[in-house]
Amino acid sequence: MIAQRVGTTALRRVAGKPNAFITANNLARSLSTSQTRPVATQKISADEARAILDKQRLQRPVSPHLDIYDKQQTWFGGSIWQRFTGSAFSGGLYAFGIAYLAAPALGWHLESSSLIAAFGALPAAVKASVKFLAAWPFVFHAFNGVRHLTLDLGYGMARQTIVKGGWYVWGASFVGGLALALFY
Amino acid sequence: MASIARSSLLRQVASAPKSAVATKPAFQKSIIANAARATAFHTTARRPLLPPLPQKVEGTVNDAAPVPPTDPSHGSYHWTFDRLVAASLVPITLTPFAAGSVHPVLDATLCATLLIHSHTGFQNIIVDYVPKYRVPRARKAFSWGLNAATVVVGLALYQYETNDIGLTETIKRIWKA
Amino acid sequence: MAALRSSTSALLGAAASRPALRIARAGVPAAVRGMADLASGATHSNTASGENAKLKTFQIYRWNPDQPTEKPRMQAYTLDLNKTGPMVLDALIRIKNEIDPTLTFRRSCREGICGSCAMNINGTNTLACLCRIPAEDNSELKIYPLPHTYVVKDLVPDLTQFYKQYKSIKPYLQRDTPSPDGKEYRQSKADRKKLDGLYECILCACCSTSCPSYWWNSEEYLGPAILLQSYRWLADSRDEKTLQRRDALNNSMSLYRCHTILNCTRTCPKGLNPGLAIQSIKKEMAL
Repeated sequence: MIAQRVGTTALRRVAGKPNAFITANNLARSLSTSQTRPVATQKISADEARAILDKQRLQRPVSPHLDIYDKQQTWFGGSIWQRFTGSAFSGGLYAFGIAYLAAPALGWHLESSSLIAAFGALPAAVKASVKFLAAWPFVFHAFNGVRHLTLDLGYGMARQTIVKGGWYVWGASFVGGLALALFY
Repeated sequence: MASIARSSLLRQVASAPKSAVATKPAFQKSIIANAARATAFHTTARRPLLPPLPQKVEGTVNDAAPVPPTDPSHGSYHWTFDRLVAASLVPITLTPFAAGSVHPVLDATLCATLLIHSHTGFQNIIVDYVPKYRVPRARKAFSWGLNAATVVVGLALYQYETNDIGLTETIKRIWKA
Repeated sequence: MAALRSSTSALLGAAASRPALRIARAGVPAAVRGMADLASGATHSNTASGENAKLKTFQIYRWNPDQPTEKPRMQAYTLDLNKTGPMVLDALIRIKNEIDPTLTFRRSCREGICGSCAMNINGTNTLACLCRIPAEDNSELKIYPLPHTYVVKDLVPDLTQFYKQYKSIKPYLQRDTPSPDGKEYRQSKADRKKLDGLYECILCACCSTSCPSYWWNSEEYLGPAILLQSYRWLADSRDEKTLQRRDALNNSMSLYRCHTILNCTRTCPKGLNPGLAIQSIKKEMAL
């Protein structure tokens, strides 16, 4: 077995460097007691070494991150969805605020009465789905916000609690969002 | 060290001619198989907004990374204030649900707290994704843009609260519409 | 020279007597036997694997600095698990020894104490030496270098910035007053207990490179590992520069880019809790 394996390694080296290894000279050298390598070296200064390293660094790729990391922790992590849902609401608030100020100049009607009338005119199914699309992120942001506040106090930081807590928030937010959309 | 290296070399040389013939087919096969199985690494066609720069190391390996100056108003004060605002939003949001109708002062408080919460939230996003060391001018533009937007939205909310029926009441009526 | 020669012959002797050793070990459990096979040089060739071979494919990230224009790629290696040790590191070493000597990775202690073999295995960062090869299913095992690091070669990331950041937190005892007895700085049992769960950190960088905040802002944000180390010195009752240490963290970037994502706690191969350490720093600084 050993012989076989060593043979493959030797063969591979031969395949890699056909000229350097097979010559009788090299065989003799590897049989002698002192180990030598058929490589020429040269001395370089610290600055030169640094320059070579800097040049190598510029060519290095960045290893993959979001594409390969555990999806459960990146794409379904509670933290990033807190940011998504929060910026959706805040963005909505900012957009509405700016539009509300600009409405008289542009001739839009963003008063509460016209908004309510416009929403009331939609079909029931559309109303329910719009309500769910607003209610789910709201409930998620609220529940996950409370979860984050308890984490900030240092509670629920055990590994299992973190994993479970994340799933509980997802489940509860769907239930809460559906309830708000359908029963209120 | 040396003895280990040497003995392995000895073994190699001694056994190479014998086993070379025996293992050649398997070895070749595996190389071919592996070459065929080596696939290009999947990179998506999308272009990230701020792809990481080529690596550059400031100073030598033995220099410590620079420590930024102490700045509690963007550090601990900011963080604590953020948590206090977020925590105060819990009762402020729950009260209208529980009470049914809302006092205008409570509604105004809700609007103000929401605005602050949104502002600090956007600030966090800008600090995260528009790094100062990399795009200082864009960072400045975003920060001041956010400040301006917050002032405008504050004005709009004031108008809405004073001239219209208020945020909570609007959401309630839309929900029931 | 005499010593050298005798050790060489001893080694050769050992090599010759190894088959006997293997027969003597025939009764040991499969995992150990795998190691023995590995040591005695089982080849990966098809003839040797037989019918009840337990094949597992490893997809490994490859990039060679000698061909910098070539894009990184994934390369597949198939091993018979019956002849491989139980851990991912065993498989990597076997691949390097027997299939592809150009495969490059760091390893040293093979028992989770040096932190060299930190890499991304099947989506989470861990130490290859502490990660079992999932033998139940036939799915491919994917191995990448630590995420969002500059790759030196294959699975070897450049951790220069990580170490520079570690240096910036002054990871050593700082005090001006001499000890009362002039011999050593004593600590109560309760104070010593505060360092449990902190001093065990081996700086393998698994947690820091699992943190999206650290991915985007590693130039300025210190990352979970360095912050845990920072707390190790903040929590030390013997250290007298606690206020200065806090001031060094009190800015928008160094500490407060942590958004309690907690990938760090979920990934730590040593079972520590960097997230909790960071939270403790924030709490101390809030009041």
